[in-house]
Amino acid sequence: MKERIEIVASGFGGQGVVRLGQIIGETGVRQGLHVTMLKSHGTEMRGGYVRSQVVLSEEIIDSPMCESPDYFIALSSAAYERFKDTVPEGGLILYDPAFVEKIDEALPCRQERFPAKELSVEHFENPLFANSLVLGRVARLVDVLDKEEMLESLLEVIPKFHDRNREAFRLGYEYGG
Amino acid sequence: MKRFLETGNFAITEGAILAGCRFFAGYPITPATELAEAMSLRLPQVGGIYLQAEDECAAMHMCVGAALGGMKAMTATSGPGFILYADPYGWALGCETPMVVLNSGRVGPVSGITGAPGQGEFYLMRYPTQGGNFETICLAPNTAQECMAMTVEAFYLSERFRMPVSVLADQLITDGFEDISVPENEDEMKEMGFRTWPREICRGPEFYPASDALDVPPVVLGHNTGALCSDWTPTEEGYDIEEVEAHHKHAYRLIYKVRNNRDLFSHHYEKKYMGDDPDLVVVSYGSPSRVVNTAVEKARSQGLKVGSLRLINIWPFPDEHFDRQCKYLCVELNWDGQLVREVQRAAPKGSGVHFMGTCGDLPTTPDLIETFEKLLKNEPIRRKGWVLEEW
Repeated sequence: MKERIEIVASGFGGQGVVRLGQIIGETGVRQGLHVTMLKSHGTEMRGGYVRSQVVLSEEIIDSPMCESPDYFIALSSAAYERFKDTVPEGGLILYDPAFVEKIDEALPCRQERFPAKELSVEHFENPLFANSLVLGRVARLVDVLDKEEMLESLLEVIPKFHDRNREAFRLGYEYGG
Repeated sequence: MKRFLETGNFAITEGAILAGCRFFAGYPITPATELAEAMSLRLPQVGGIYLQAEDECAAMHMCVGAALGGMKAMTATSGPGFILYADPYGWALGCETPMVVLNSGRVGPVSGITGAPGQGEFYLMRYPTQGGNFETICLAPNTAQECMAMTVEAFYLSERFRMPVSVLADQLITDGFEDISVPENEDEMKEMGFRTWPREICRGPEFYPASDALDVPPVVLGHNTGALCSDWTPTEEGYDIEEVEAHHKHAYRLIYKVRNNRDLFSHHYEKKYMGDDPDLVVVSYGSPSRVVNTAVEKARSQGLKVGSLRLINIWPFPDEHFDRQCKYLCVELNWDGQLVREVQRAAPKGSGVHFMGTCGDLPTTPDLIETFEKLLKNEPIRRKGWVLEEW
């Protein structure tokens, strides 16, 4: 694996951005990697800006900052606008079109549209499982992350609705064939 | 050894419990709220007591009370709460009461920004109360794992020096998640370099000796020792007295028990690329030091002769690291420059001592490397439009 892999998730409070980072980080720990996961947020419990920055490495991690993220999960327009330019060529932005409507086509990185909220409502009549869909997608896209460890981490960190979370994770993983 | 993805707050809680802490009183505040939460869960599991106080001033008073009752105690807060410790902190210093105080820095002044890191309390950790006539010991970890280690160490030092010892972290360290290893038995604790010291009881008749001696057991009330404890100047036997001679003896102890025994903790620092007399030494503590280490490593690969000095024991200030005349750059999470003033004082005359501040976010690696390059070329450095003066 690369010396370090940087994953950023950002959106607004209440979307589960911190949990998302935590589950990815937990997966890293289960796989024996060193992990840092920073969370930054405003005062509000819901609605304010939130960002998780995850670094995975086989070595001890000095800087926990994601200055040049390999993966950026954009869950709001504001987050997309704020961090899109940090993603280098070879990086990937995963965005949910329910929150990020306007895409900057001029970016050097790859951008993947992933309608997590829409899929969650379609399959579960509830937007609550969007993040489990995202995590399934992340497990598929990030080579170093093991699918089964990620699912186990998800089920451990989110102790409720195991069946639906498992199903959402599978849908995300298998999205697009 | 158990391995977790957990926060610095969790790591500190586990460290405190490993060190024998069985009393915590606090008032929740971001970014130390989860510490109070973890303590409220963990302490009852090990037979300890968690108390949520009405405010920070009361919380630390409760800890002083618990320590005077013979328990190892701790409180934790952030900057806005730390200032409310001023009154009980003085009491604990004066009565030589061992306990541990954690401050997780956020952006100030006052409430500032809750969920972002700051380093505005460098000097407040040195002078947490009024009156002077004392030294303080402060340790500043930069990872969750080191938070655990320094919490254990703070309890150890607090017993041996008979005084409150503080740990200064920041929001990124206490709120951030990292992989941490928690020892499960004494052998594993020793393997990880953890030192512990039991709570002993001073039996008198000298309760406040006029010496710099270590390992004088603390005053514990209620054990029929005849000990007294108040916030007035004590005689050596522990009686209140308002008299200059007695005060001079007491002040000597509060100052010189620390100054004369610094070798017990002065090994808490980290040096990288310092072996070949670098032209520029980057000085930092806490979370910015992690980006500094990354930047210094990259700068070295670009041929810049830069070294990193990370302070862990920040008070008493370790002057001994600044014996070379060279350029120094202090990287801090504040805009006003605090650590830099101390480095300027400690460095030999003729050293160029510079300051690079940011607040709420860590500095970036490219910004740091650009600053190193400019300093090495004797060019002025700037940050966010401010001309940064030579200190």
